[in-house]
Amino acid sequence: MIGNDGNLLVSARGLTKVYRLGAIEAPALLGVDLEVKSGEFVSIVGPSGSGKTTLLNLIGALDSATGGELRVLGQDLSGLNRRERAELRLKYLGFVFQSYNLIPVLTARENVEFVLELQGVGRERSARAGEVLNELGLSEFADRRPLEMSGGQQQRVAVARAVASSPKLVLADEPTANLDGENAEILLHMMRRLRDEYGMTFIFSTHDPRVVEHAERVITLTDGRVAKDERHAPA
Amino acid sequence: MIGKTIFKYAFRSQARHIRRTVLSVVGVGIGTAMGILANCWIWGSEEMQIRAASESGAGHLKVIPVGWLETRENSLRLSDWEKALAEVRALPGVKRVSYRARANGLLAFGNRTSGMEVTGVDPDSERVFNRIVYKSGIEGRYLEAGDADKLVIGREIARQLKIGLDDDLMITISGKEEMKSAMLRVVGIIDTGSRELDSSVCHITLSDLERIIGIPGPTEVSILLNNYKQIESTRRLLAQELPEKNTVITWKESAPELAANAEGDKAFMNLLALIIVLVVGLGIMSAQLTAVMERRREFGILSALGMPGRQIVALILTEAFWVGIGGALIALALSAPIAYRLASRGVNISALMGGVKSFGGVLIDPVIYGDLGWWVIWYAFGVSLAATIAASLYPAWLAQKIDPAEALRRV
Ligand SMILES: Nc1ncnc2c1ncn2[C@@H]1O[C@H](COP(=O)(O)OP(=O)(O)O)[C@@H](O)[C@H]1O
Ligand SMILES: [Mg+2]
Repeated sequence: MIGNDGNLLVSARGLTKVYRLGAIEAPALLGVDLEVKSGEFVSIVGPSGSGKTTLLNLIGALDSATGGELRVLGQDLSGLNRRERAELRLKYLGFVFQSYNLIPVLTARENVEFVLELQGVGRERSARAGEVLNELGLSEFADRRPLEMSGGQQQRVAVARAVASSPKLVLADEPTANLDGENAEILLHMMRRLRDEYGMTFIFSTHDPRVVEHAERVITLTDGRVAKDERHAPA
Repeated sequence: MIGKTIFKYAFRSQARHIRRTVLSVVGVGIGTAMGILANCWIWGSEEMQIRAASESGAGHLKVIPVGWLETRENSLRLSDWEKALAEVRALPGVKRVSYRARANGLLAFGNRTSGMEVTGVDPDSERVFNRIVYKSGIEGRYLEAGDADKLVIGREIARQLKIGLDDDLMITISGKEEMKSAMLRVVGIIDTGSRELDSSVCHITLSDLERIIGIPGPTEVSILLNNYKQIESTRRLLAQELPEKNTVITWKESAPELAANAEGDKAFMNLLALIIVLVVGLGIMSAQLTAVMERRREFGILSALGMPGRQIVALILTEAFWVGIGGALIALALSAPIAYRLASRGVNISALMGGVKSFGGVLIDPVIYGDLGWWVIWYAFGVSLAATIAASLYPAWLAQKIDPAEALRRV
């Protein structure tokens, strides 16, 4: 059942994560069950410390679970080593982080190009990077370096970079945390449009109620467990 | 494997901490420049020592009878020496050849005597071969072809025996079975400027020596080459040609004291260069480690995006590459004027030598000219790049090991 359904991008069963700091154990996820299908626009909410980052890191193959089962894009993540996880991230996943996403010494276009280069895209990557920025209305920033852009502009370029190679799944951990309301709106609209036009799947965490408004599905974490998982009519 | 954007990334990263980059580049540059100068000096002084030893009679190469080196037995003679001489003359790259026989003798004048090694020479060859002859002051004249019963001695010997030009003195030499004596006339007194040499030079013609002791032929054939870098190849070539009872040695075996001294200098300079490279390398490593720690989050993001560890290593080594290039350019800029001066004007070492003009029977040049050539460029880039890249291996390894989840958590 799991992974055979082409529509099922993420499937977690009894997923746990316990951080160990010497003798102290810090449980962060206490058995999470979750399924995300292709094309969904999912928000993970919950108070600080509820496990949002931990869950996104596990789904994004940035960290490994201590228990339970997790399949992403049909792959059982527990069976992958460091190198294989890096390859999975590079080829199939897009990431947007909370801040300082971009390489400071490269322009917006070069940041996009850089990831395409890592993915093995050939000479056309420069044109491709330009197209993506253009498509997302960011061409005016193409030749600016991160320090020459506002926080909102930087996050939009980060989204452009994340989707440049059309990943199936884009993960964003509190992408609007450092943005004002207006910029948060713009970013969410952009993500929605990408989902609508290209069918990309987004999972993003937030604790901003105005951002949650845009989600179609809201998963609420409390103390490392899924407290609520509800459909939602986006604003 | 290193893409264009990574190259740009590495290059522009140099501008992030201008001061740190400048310090690193200058540090590598100074260290490399010191290495260049050390080599310029040591190769120049090696060249001088080889020139001095070879021109002081030893030649670059010398053909001797088997066993002479071990026993220094002066009654040994080359076998079929005329054939050996012809073979030597036919070798490529040979500039000059001289041949001699040696014997242990006693000079006597009145009631004064002095024991020494008598050298029987071919005057025309020796005059252009041996700097002890052509570079020294001479009272009277040197030996000439056809001279009979003539003798040239060092100034110190003349002083000890209290003799002057045209004095006749008695020479006693061990012959085949018994001691042989002859009366010889002093035609020249040599002033080398070195006490050591002035009290040991005693030249007669080879034909006189052969006649007095009754043993024909020379003990050695000395060879000066056009290019001292061909010593080894010529030695191998010659060794194949020689009659079985003859062998060929280099200046190092003819002038072992000087050779040992040169080796010691070289080892010291190499050690010095190694220490410089190590110190500079540690400096670079510490700067790179600081940079990696400061950029933890950045490397975490790169890793999170899926950049493979070896590419992160490549990125940091490429950054080191740019530091190395900068260091090489600084090294060339710093060392070139000094090396040029060393090579063109040289350094007069007579003060350093405390007036000593010879070493182990070799008449030393007072001026050392630094060795300057294209090697400087290879050396600058080679050492600078090798040191910076080697020093960045450990920081690069640490950077690719950074755990993305861990690094991203710390904002
Ligand atoms: N590296 C870590 N070491 C120890 N405890 C951690 C670590 N990361 C997270 N935690 C703990 O795990 C819990 C969940 O954290 P997190 O996933 O960051 O929550 P959120 O993103 O919802 O704020 C918290 O109690 C946090 O203190
Ligand atoms: Mg978090």
